[in-house]
Amino acid sequence: MNERNQWRSLHEEQDAGTTPEMKSQEFMDGVTDAFDPETLSPLSRKQFLALMAASAAFAATGCTNYRDKGEIVPYNKKPEEVTPGKANLYASTCTACPQACGILVKTREGRPVKLDGNPDHPVNRGRSCATGQAAILNLYDPARLRAPHTGAAASGTGEVSWDRIDSEAARQLAACIRDGKQIVLMTAPVTSPTAQKLILEFRAAFPGTKVIVYDRFHQETRRSAWELCYGSAALRPVAWEKARLIVALEADILGNEGFTVEQTRAVAGARDIMVSDTFVRLYSVEGTMSLTGTNADYRCRLHPEAQLEFVLALTRAVAAKLKLAAASLPAGPDLAAIAHRRGLPLKTLEHLVDDLVTLRGKGIVYAGSALNTDVHVAVNYLNELLGNTALYGPAEPATAVTVTPPADVASTIADMKAGKVGFVAHLDVNPVYHLPKVLGYAEALKSVRFSVAMTDVENETAQLCTYMLPVHTMLESWGDHTVRTGVISLQQPVIAPLYATRQQEAILLRWMSASTPFSELLYQEYLKRHWESAVFPSLGRLTDFLTFWQMALHDGVVTTPVSAQAPLQFRKDALASLRLQEHPDRYAVVLLASPYLGDGRWANNGWLQELPHPISKVVWDNYAAISPAAARALGVESNDLIEVSTESGKVTLPVFVQPGTAEQLIAVSLGYGRWNAGPVGSNVGVDVTPLLPAGCLTGPRVVRAMSVSKSEGSYALASTQEHHALDDTFVKDFHLKRHIIREGILEEYRKDPHSLGIERKEHESISPRVEFVGVKWAMAIDLNKCTGCNACVAGCNVENNLPVIGKEQVAKGREMQWIRIDRYYSGTPEEPLASHQPMLCQHCDNAPCENVCPVVATNHSPDGLNQMIYNRCVGTKYCSNNCPYKVRRFNFFNFRDHLADGYYQQEPVSLMHNPEVTVRSRGVMEKCTFCVQRIMEARQHATEAGVTFDGKQVETACQQACPAQAIVFGNMHDPGADISRYREHPAGYDVLGELNVKPNVTYLARLRNIHSEKRA
Amino acid sequence: MEKHLYGLTALFDTPDAVVHAAEETVKAGYTRYDVHAPYPLHGIERTMRLKTSPLGYFALVFGLLGAISAVGLMTWITLVDYPLVIGGKPFWSWPAFVPVAFELTVLLASVLTVVSMIVIYFKFPNNSHPLHDTPFMKRVSSDGFGISIEAADPLFDEAKVHAMLASLGGKEVGAVYFDEADRDHGQKVFDLKFIGVLAGVGIAVAGFAYLALNVLLYLPPFDWMMVQNKLKPQAASTLFRDGIGMRQPVLGTVARGFLPYAFKGKPEEAGKSLANPLPVTQKVLDLGREKYLTFCSPCHGNFGRGDSRLNGQFPNPPTLHSDKVREWSDGSIYHVITEGQNVMPSYAAQVSRDERWAIVHYIRVLQRAQHAKESDLR
Amino acid sequence: MSTAVVDYTREEPVVAGRPTASEIDAVVSAPLDRPPARTWWIAFGITSTMLGIGVVCVAVTLWLGLGVWGVNQPVSWGFDIVNFVFWVGIGHAGTLISAILFLLRQRWRNGIARFAEAMTIFAVMCAGIFPLLHTGRPWLSLYLTPYPNQHALWVNFTSPLLWDVFAVSTYFTVSAVFWYLGLVPDFATLRDRTTHPVKKLVYSIFSLGWRHSSRHWTHFERAYLILAGFATPLVLSVHTIVSFDFAVSVIPGWHTTIFPPYFVAGAVFSGFAMVQNSLIVVRQVFRLKHLITLSTLEKMNKVMIVTGSMVGYAYAMEFFVAWYSGSQFETFVFVNRALGPYAWAYWTMVTCNVVFPQLFWFKKVRTSIPMMFVIAIFVNVGMWFERFVIVVTSLSRDFLPSSWGHYMPSIYDVGIFVGSLGLFFTLILLFVRVLPVISLAEIKAVIPGAQPERHRPH
Repeated sequence: MNERNQWRSLHEEQDAGTTPEMKSQEFMDGVTDAFDPETLSPLSRKQFLALMAASAAFAATGCTNYRDKGEIVPYNKKPEEVTPGKANLYASTCTACPQACGILVKTREGRPVKLDGNPDHPVNRGRSCATGQAAILNLYDPARLRAPHTGAAASGTGEVSWDRIDSEAARQLAACIRDGKQIVLMTAPVTSPTAQKLILEFRAAFPGTKVIVYDRFHQETRRSAWELCYGSAALRPVAWEKARLIVALEADILGNEGFTVEQTRAVAGARDIMVSDTFVRLYSVEGTMSLTGTNADYRCRLHPEAQLEFVLALTRAVAAKLKLAAASLPAGPDLAAIAHRRGLPLKTLEHLVDDLVTLRGKGIVYAGSALNTDVHVAVNYLNELLGNTALYGPAEPATAVTVTPPADVASTIADMKAGKVGFVAHLDVNPVYHLPKVLGYAEALKSVRFSVAMTDVENETAQLCTYMLPVHTMLESWGDHTVRTGVISLQQPVIAPLYATRQQEAILLRWMSASTPFSELLYQEYLKRHWESAVFPSLGRLTDFLTFWQMALHDGVVTTPVSAQAPLQFRKDALASLRLQEHPDRYAVVLLASPYLGDGRWANNGWLQELPHPISKVVWDNYAAISPAAARALGVESNDLIEVSTESGKVTLPVFVQPGTAEQLIAVSLGYGRWNAGPVGSNVGVDVTPLLPAGCLTGPRVVRAMSVSKSEGSYALASTQEHHALDDTFVKDFHLKRHIIREGILEEYRKDPHSLGIERKEHESISPRVEFVGVKWAMAIDLNKCTGCNACVAGCNVENNLPVIGKEQVAKGREMQWIRIDRYYSGTPEEPLASHQPMLCQHCDNAPCENVCPVVATNHSPDGLNQMIYNRCVGTKYCSNNCPYKVRRFNFFNFRDHLADGYYQQEPVSLMHNPEVTVRSRGVMEKCTFCVQRIMEARQHATEAGVTFDGKQVETACQQACPAQAIVFGNMHDPGADISRYREHPAGYDVLGELNVKPNVTYLARLRNIHSEKRA
Repeated sequence: MEKHLYGLTALFDTPDAVVHAAEETVKAGYTRYDVHAPYPLHGIERTMRLKTSPLGYFALVFGLLGAISAVGLMTWITLVDYPLVIGGKPFWSWPAFVPVAFELTVLLASVLTVVSMIVIYFKFPNNSHPLHDTPFMKRVSSDGFGISIEAADPLFDEAKVHAMLASLGGKEVGAVYFDEADRDHGQKVFDLKFIGVLAGVGIAVAGFAYLALNVLLYLPPFDWMMVQNKLKPQAASTLFRDGIGMRQPVLGTVARGFLPYAFKGKPEEAGKSLANPLPVTQKVLDLGREKYLTFCSPCHGNFGRGDSRLNGQFPNPPTLHSDKVREWSDGSIYHVITEGQNVMPSYAAQVSRDERWAIVHYIRVLQRAQHAKESDLR
Repeated sequence: MSTAVVDYTREEPVVAGRPTASEIDAVVSAPLDRPPARTWWIAFGITSTMLGIGVVCVAVTLWLGLGVWGVNQPVSWGFDIVNFVFWVGIGHAGTLISAILFLLRQRWRNGIARFAEAMTIFAVMCAGIFPLLHTGRPWLSLYLTPYPNQHALWVNFTSPLLWDVFAVSTYFTVSAVFWYLGLVPDFATLRDRTTHPVKKLVYSIFSLGWRHSSRHWTHFERAYLILAGFATPLVLSVHTIVSFDFAVSVIPGWHTTIFPPYFVAGAVFSGFAMVQNSLIVVRQVFRLKHLITLSTLEKMNKVMIVTGSMVGYAYAMEFFVAWYSGSQFETFVFVNRALGPYAWAYWTMVTCNVVFPQLFWFKKVRTSIPMMFVIAIFVNVGMWFERFVIVVTSLSRDFLPSSWGHYMPSIYDVGIFVGSLGLFFTLILLFVRVLPVISLAEIKAVIPGAQPERHRPH
């Protein structure tokens, strides 16, 4: 071989021996064999074609009965990042509430289908809440405005073009400048620096622009107290992780007060018995039964108006114990007197004082934003006294757009009435519904020449404006948000605008520079410019801006250096202003944020309407929660009606007798009773804004009632759980007697982990048990961490395409949620102890449901799942009857079709549904699947990568959503996995284990961190 | 036409009389005769010396058949055809099989016994008989008792039989004649009329079944979950003007793991600053080879010589063995795959980033194959 | 023994007076020959209206879904299964009378067997409606049968519901065959009576060319005996299996071994009550008092005391077992039945099923037509409530107090139940018009002097 030796492939190169002949003959060995005529099929080409034709004909005729499965429409030009059938993740920011959590949005083929927390975000660290989970439904809400539309104040009716809007707005603005009329921007607090800048620029561009900022659930009392005490309005958020003792005063830190996701994560994280040393002690002193109260180790029932005297008494007691000279505090009753008068257990108060003292510097006393400034001042002083200020973090970022004082709001409204205002723009706010009715905003708006409402769905305000301008939902918007110093969270759209909507900032920009035509990029460019000029230089990064920007979008969050904090100087003179007013023997009304509807913004979100109230389990309604004693006094029961009146106005409310409510107190949620919220949300519950005084714009949300009286008629509240448990002695404490809930005392558990009396014994069985090999799934739920916040429920709803069924169906007892939070009471109706327990399919090894299904529609998978085959299900419902946990759910109707004339069957809801999960029809049984679609996806990845599937990195939707990280899921055959540790844990127990169904969900008994002599 | 005699019949008033007559008939040695009564006469079969009916054995056989087939089917299904873990029970949980086995036993035993009686002894589908519609039959089906002796009996002699019946006190002794249809006694299973009826019934049932199972069950409101209110990949959607259910990502957004390609339109920078992150391993090269043969070979040819069958009918794809390409850095090749060049389109959408790098390695292999160094030979 | 109808002449006659065979033919087949009376038309009008109501409710259910019913979580079985068990129970009297009493040589059964069997068949038809309807997707009910299909999936042989499918369908088929077999000679008789050509054709087809030949009679009787032999364990098995629907589950109040005998006794109890009620009417209307005699009815009443007391015993036993089991779930369920939200239903059941039948100890009551009629109605009501109590109370409050619920039927539930009653009585009304309500052959065989006096042993 004298020619140059060449080789074609590595193989060839490696065994050079075979190379020559391989090259010498054209075909490799074996290739030609096929051409041996002997071995060829006798079938001639003609015959073959004939056969093909025949079979084709048969196929064609034989398959005529097959039903049309729809056409296949591929991408014309496939984007690099999208692969059909594979999900993408986008980092963004959730603007569902002022917490502005970082989120990861899961998109399928460019459509968002799920959102969860962004693990890289330092505040919420990958956690999320129920409202955030369900917020995706608002993107696909059929009621969304699809183009600009005239309102009541407009001349014509119907849709209008954006051009006309722009031109008319420009004209009106010019006119206002010309004839010196005011321009008003109504907005909620703005968390976006760029948007703040924009608003300032707008004000500059149009002199005489007033910006009215209001927030129904403001922190103004806390802020003003802070200003009094420390001379600066910038609050210092609490570093909850560090707290060993938390005393919440009418502050539902685990419910809806402040940064609930962060707080829940922190508190739950500090109640982890897997990590033995940490266990925060939680006191809750509250008048309303709140999540914080139910999760507290000690709960004291105290009327919110008595909080000040309580704090003062506490301060004195602490000072006395510390032998400190307490500053001159207004005289008041001491703890013993309060305990006597208010019926508080004195022992508990003594414990409280001891704990405050022993854990000083490691504890925090935290007052709720519903309380007045005085209480906050007193609390600040108490924390000062105890040195708890060590737990304060850096000051919150300064904002240019602060909440407007009631006086200014009133004057502006007066100006509007007087016709001095020519232009009002509502930036995604709904003041007609929100503002206290006494201010008469609705009337005022009527006498404004030109008004627009920027909103995604028509609402009470938009209805009265000249035009309603459809704006992007949060998943279509650009933005940046900062709620914590040093943390900027970026918001990028995850789907192109579904309709002819615009981002509200872009609308303002367009009006500011009438010359520039509108483009989708308008605000995006503005945002980038702002970052390039303002943020980027300060960071001193090495990369160029574009790269930095892209990486920032990729991560979703940018952390900036935090300057050193000035030490806090407490001003004792603040205490001088404290006044203990004597309150007459009258009812007070405490106005709470609705657990999931916020200020009513989410009223048209069926999923959120149907999330049971965490305590009362009532859905689709708000109600007046009163104590059993109060109910007796008023001569009412649950579902009766009472009329409540304050000096501002009166409303008629259904009563719900809520154990644990303070006497003389009525707790009621705002955010209900909207009259123009869309097909789902309109006229749900009662609007209690008439009760609000103007002062509540910055003042406390506890209002003195003029009169409370029983009124005629009754109103049926629907709840997902019978609430007889306490009134009916016949069935009292069953959850403890039946070992459904197991509870213990931390100290005793520490002494002897087996003191809980949990024994795991293998039950006899007539048949040999089935052996599972390889991956086998199991779940564990830590009842110490679970706060009962329902985030898991919402997450499950979205992941698994659960329908909304409506109030009357829930009343019939047909709720569909796959996972529910059971709430049990023990103790007395006045001082109940509540326990929360997430209940879902236990995927029993010996599942009773499987035996009885005649068509094997439910059976067991090799990896230990109790699986449900929807297509096979005939719907005998026997499985549901035979389920001891009653976790199976049945489609009694095609609920999507049944609710509000098929509201959730209209487009674009289909885009939201998880393509990996069947959308069940009527007559089909369903239940928790342990998110089998996620399991299968993980399995598929393992197979693609050619590695054996070990079951790691599978996260169920509920687990991912849980802000408390109370849910653990994994392969129980993997000794390294968390789940195995939980299953072996001495506090771990099975619910109804004695039935020998072998459930695969392990619960960790709840330990109350109380002083053990409490027992005696 | 002359009529064919079927036999002689006589009526009696009391059961005793007819029993007596029957005894006499037997004594006389007649075999083809019968006793008719509106209800079963006690002890008559002994008088007539009839064998006990063998139906009991039928029942036994059919019963066993039912039991065996039931157990067999259940065993085969649960052990062989489709074993399933149900409620943590063993596949073959026999106690659960008892009810079904029992029911099938009873079903087959009882029904088939009756059917076989009707077919074998009642000669189904035969229905007409010479005795039908005779005064004799009218009486015996109500309150009379009678004896009929067939002409087919070997000892039959009309006069004798007549005399005997009369002497036994039989009333209305008379002859019964065949009507033509009844001449042959064979079972008329293949009688056209019968077959016709069967066929008619069969067709009717089939037609109904077709309508019910293929049409009726698919009409609203019956829901088979074939159409679901969700968008699968590549499904159409009426919501968007383009009719495509899948959306393009928004311009300027960045998905996790997909930082935009930093060297758009900057081949030089790419060439300079990009380095191949993948190691040269068999696995990587196999991947590269696979992807190369899928995406690159159609133009550049299997060995990168640019000698694919596109040659000539298309601006000729360049060879990858040119010095230019061999001098290129990995980055440049990667850039060309990503961005495309001249008529070559971008392959970013089809080929993932790692796959592109793997292809780069494989191209290097091809080049080296064409331009081996001395060292390669050893 | 070789013949089924043996010599009972020592006993009191089943048939009052000495009607001749032809008289019996005349009186029994009279309703078939003359056009229906006005009373019949009125009755038919009422029942068919009830049936119509049922049809409408069924249509609505099919169109909208089970949501129109009262069922929910946790009580996902309500009226549907209650009615199913109720009707299957009623269906038990027929086969019991025709098969078991036949084997026990109870001659008095001959007068009522035909009618009771007819009722069985109709009752099972009514029962069959409910399991079909109570499924969420009735159009898939073929899945309940083991047929080879493209899913390669079979049925679940461990499920009591599947056993039900086999048991009830078998029971229906066998009863129907049994009934038809008994009808064959009567068809022949009718064939030979009638002059109407169409009727004649129909009767001839169904009489299978029967000619009352003793050679046929021997086979016929053997077959009848075999059927009776099989029907006897069958009738016991059916309600046993129905009781498995509950006994096999884990739900407290269902999961108990006492159910099979308890259910069977209850079934016979309610069945006899229903037969009682209908027969009293029929014998009144069609003047069959001498064929369906008072003593027959009295004998049925005696059966009712026995079964009623068995049921009462079962009620007591349930409580004992619950307490003795030491399982708090069991104990609670039964305390809850007697004192809980459904106590009213429980006590209705007890009074109707246990208290009233005890009156039958008195001969006066036992032999007074109005009294027995009323008591029989009470028994029917009571037995319906028994099923209601079993199904609803156990489900509404089981293991987890969090998921306790309450069940209230909707108008559609009631409507469908009314419809099933309508179907049942409509069928009965049609039956008495077109078929002899009393088995001619059987009744003739037991009139005095029907059998030969002399036996010649060989």
